[in-house]
Amino acid sequence: MAVPILKQEDVLIAQVQAILSDDDLNQLKDDLSNRIGRARSRGVIIDVTALDVLDSFATRTIRGIAYTAKLRGANTVVVGIQPDVAFGMVQLGLSLEGVETALDLEEGLAFLRNAANSRGPRVR
Amino acid sequence: MSAEIRVPIEHERDIVTARQRGRELAAANGFSSTDQTLVALAISEIARNIVSYAKRGEVMLLALEETGRRGIVVIARDEGPGIADPELAMKDGYSTAKSLGVGLPGAKRVMDEFKLETQLGKGTTVTMKKWVR
Amino acid sequence: MTVSDRQRSLQSSMHDMGLTEEAIERRKRIVGLEPADLGRIAAVKDVVARGAEEFMATFFEFLSKLDEARPLVTSHGLLDRARQLKKAHLAAMVQGEYGTRYVEQRLELAQLYARAGLEMLVFLGAFHHLLRAIGSAIMKQFERSPMEGFENFMSLQKVAFFDIGIIVDVLVMERERTIRQQEEAIRELSTPVLQVRDRMLLLPIIGVIDTHRARLITESLLRAIRANRAKVVVMDVTGVATIDSKVANHLLQTVTAARLMGALVIVTGLSSEVAQSLVALGIELSKINTVGDLQGGLEEAERVLGYRLLRNGDALPPPTMTEN
Repeated sequence: MAVPILKQEDVLIAQVQAILSDDDLNQLKDDLSNRIGRARSRGVIIDVTALDVLDSFATRTIRGIAYTAKLRGANTVVVGIQPDVAFGMVQLGLSLEGVETALDLEEGLAFLRNAANSRGPRVR
Repeated sequence: MSAEIRVPIEHERDIVTARQRGRELAAANGFSSTDQTLVALAISEIARNIVSYAKRGEVMLLALEETGRRGIVVIARDEGPGIADPELAMKDGYSTAKSLGVGLPGAKRVMDEFKLETQLGKGTTVTMKKWVR
Repeated sequence: MTVSDRQRSLQSSMHDMGLTEEAIERRKRIVGLEPADLGRIAAVKDVVARGAEEFMATFFEFLSKLDEARPLVTSHGLLDRARQLKKAHLAAMVQGEYGTRYVEQRLELAQLYARAGLEMLVFLGAFHHLLRAIGSAIMKQFERSPMEGFENFMSLQKVAFFDIGIIVDVLVMERERTIRQQEEAIRELSTPVLQVRDRMLLLPIIGVIDTHRARLITESLLRAIRANRAKVVVMDVTGVATIDSKVANHLLQTVTAARLMGALVIVTGLSSEVAQSLVALGIELSKINTVGDLQGGLEEAERVLGYRLLRNGDALPPPTMTEN
């Protein structure tokens, strides 16, 4: 199932569905990369609230997305990692190092707003 | 005792099916939601190993009952190239293709029992068990 | 519970207690129950059957006089079922068949006693009275050949001891199970997660940390983060007995898991000895935010959340400019 991407002001929000295959993830990576450029987004939120497992491949791909987005000028925040999912990830030795995380969508948006403010007003 | 569940692994989307079946079986056998997640995670890792290295194989799931305890066993079998250095493959951070190098050792960490049998040119079988705590 | 449910649960209890056919045979050998006994038991079958009502009355009358047995004799559901099973027991005791089915019946009655919280001592007392009553009836029947009567009674007593063995094992097992559950409950209680302020949690860790406990701590912290929408967690390890590399790794995992959920963890209470030994062990703690003591940690957490602490009477600092 493809991951829908919504746009809210200068933030792209990827709403990951309950069933996420490797193909869906790779597709998301390409879609996001394209849309950051087109929409000149300053932030990306990957909402994984619906996901019940984040394995090594998903973790690695999400890190890849975050690094790519950074190179294109957007901060990435992963939001909504569930308690069981977080527990499983650390048991497996996965940490999403270098990627910002937030409790939920609201927190993610607040984080990106703060990051934008501390960077100073944008030149329009 | 319930019948075994077999999930053929050929495409990467089969990984999702295998881990869903595993979670369902774990739930039906009284595993906590955290442990269901760990089972699904371990299946995800070993099923991906099949897709990455052996192209095709299968994951077999079975409920277990032994004196006074319940659990499940996951057997992942393929007839792929086998693993040249199983000891090295079980080391954290080791990977030849597209995993993070946590696949096998990670799966071992989240399960209670783990056995890797491999023969060059013949294939690999991973047998893992987890008990309800 | 339906009949088949009860049957299934009995079978699983038999399984849990390892009561296989071999184990049952072994129990018979231990009490000395042999084929030769069966004939002698058959000889008292009628006496026991005739007096069954009376023997049962003796058993429950003894119990009804004891405070300790009150939960059993005051619950009609339990008492009726116990009477039913006891009657079946007296009939089965002299049938000569002491296999799986017989043991299952003993198990069911034993579990009922356990549910009623019957003490072993009380059960043994009642059982003794029951046997005494049976013994007197047998001796009366064999008045003219007391030796034969005694032999017959002794054979029946082997069955009685076989029964006692099973009942005692069930009562002991139930007690152990209760203790295990209490231990588990204490362990859960020993890792409280406290909400100190809005979106701020305090996790004081006290005692010994092993893999199991580390797991419980992490699980309850993660759930608390979700439930309280926590943004900052102060984890105080002042009370942790020893922090070696294994414990440090557990703590590191807890911190990482919390971060995955978007919460910042501040670790407080690492003594200088612990800090030095961790450095000596080569453990990477640079990823952890540490503050010396709990108070400092709480202040730091408040700062992160944007709180400012003011003493009464202090002048309010000028508000910071916010962008609109």
